[in-house]
Amino acid sequence: MKQTPDFDKIQENMRAGSITGPGFLGHDERNLVDIISEDQAKVKELGLTNEIIANKLEMFMKQGERGFGSPVKVDDRFVVIVEESRGYIPCPFRHGHLSKKANINVRNIARKEEVDYSPISIHLIREHGFYQGKGSPYRLDPAKVARILELI
Amino acid sequence: MQIIVTALVVGGISAVLAAVLTIADALVNNYGEVSITINDSKSHKVKGGSTLLSTLAGEKIFIPSACGGKGSCGLCKVKVKTDVGPILPTELPYLSPKEKKDNVRLSCQIKVKGDMSIEIPEELFNIREYVATVSSIEDVTHDIKEVFFSIQDEISFRAGQYVQLVVPAYGDIREETMRAYSMSSQPSVKNGVELLIRLVPNGIVTTYVHKLLNVGDRIKILGPFGGFFLRDTDSDIIFIAGGSGMAPIKSILLDMMEKGVERKAYYFFGARSKRDLFYLEEMKEIESKMPNFHFIPALSDPQQEDNWQGEIGLITDVVDRYLSEQGDDVAREGYLCGSPGMINACIDVLTKHKITEEKIYFDKFG
Repeated sequence: MKQTPDFDKIQENMRAGSITGPGFLGHDERNLVDIISEDQAKVKELGLTNEIIANKLEMFMKQGERGFGSPVKVDDRFVVIVEESRGYIPCPFRHGHLSKKANINVRNIARKEEVDYSPISIHLIREHGFYQGKGSPYRLDPAKVARILELI
Repeated sequence: MQIIVTALVVGGISAVLAAVLTIADALVNNYGEVSITINDSKSHKVKGGSTLLSTLAGEKIFIPSACGGKGSCGLCKVKVKTDVGPILPTELPYLSPKEKKDNVRLSCQIKVKGDMSIEIPEELFNIREYVATVSSIEDVTHDIKEVFFSIQDEISFRAGQYVQLVVPAYGDIREETMRAYSMSSQPSVKNGVELLIRLVPNGIVTTYVHKLLNVGDRIKILGPFGGFFLRDTDSDIIFIAGGSGMAPIKSILLDMMEKGVERKAYYFFGARSKRDLFYLEEMKEIESKMPNFHFIPALSDPQQEDNWQGEIGLITDVVDRYLSEQGDDVAREGYLCGSPGMINACIDVLTKHKITEEKIYFDKFG
């Protein structure tokens, strides 16, 4: 798919060392527009929406925040640890949105699988349908997230 | 042949267009020498075209900024009395309605394109840039390092204040990056500053400090900044901190001890398990020298091998329990340092115990 010059600039903001150390793209060489559209196709195939996935991620974050860095059990099936840092991360789409800095770890006890993300991940999924590039430390593969968070 | 000619013609046109664009850019963005008037008194002749934050830094006037001009901390606010255009979308999240009305702007986001008049607090003229040498690095926990930065000149600060540590470009990081850290040393130590730096996953500055910084390295420090310091009253003091939030509280306690301050003080320090606790010996020593000081560490998730005999639970619950036992008919002040979530939860507990928000102090750089 053809990428607009606006998206070129946004993709530049996402590179390692621009907004965050590791950036949002990992080793993914695809255009931003292709990264987004391919993940959108997967989300649709799973019978989900960005909103459903973002809401679930946000719910776990809110539950985990109560622990101030200690593990919090959710529904007896998940363990969540939210470790906050000071400061904010601006959205790479540069429209003025700021997210808190935190690492959220959700472990599915029965599946023995876990996923890490940050508050900006939730915003990027909900508002921009962006699950980050392959190899990014906070890449959330839609199928993996759906499986670990028991969305399917 | 025709293909070669076409390629040469297209290449030539592109080169001419590129040259025109470069010249136009130089002309359009050449703002020449402009003047910045500060607080209606001091006037600085500067070269236009850069952000107000970096232009002022070039004049050795350092506006507080925890992110180093990336537009992600919202600290570098300056009142601009000249019209510099509408508020940018990148500034909006940080400005209150009153600040917008008062023409407060983020100095890292606005460019100096013409003569300007601004207002900044007078104390910012005391902030200096130091080139420090790392003289010691010690692990105090599995993820917190205590680093002492020696400074050739003397540094003066108030216990509780912070500096900005500037790390050079490295790896994928293409430019200098700065972050704010509170001093853990006391102001009587004039030949440098001790900082506690916790490794933040994927953090640019903390990764540099934990993985690349060595004893003997030279590094830039700006400061001191901040309004987090002990107020001069007779009220009882409630300190609450977690992790590297220990730093400013330790500085304040050592300063109190040196000055013989005898106010009643309780220090609640929250950690997850024993491996996250540190400075227990130092706190014990302060307790022995300051009879009105009580250190109360609490673990929220003690491990079996910790064999922990102290307080257990979230730090907010522990504080709530203590204050409930003591009653609320006591004049108290709260001093907090930790994650934003912990600070918010602590404010709820303290206000529940009749400590008004005006008497609860914490750093706003996060």
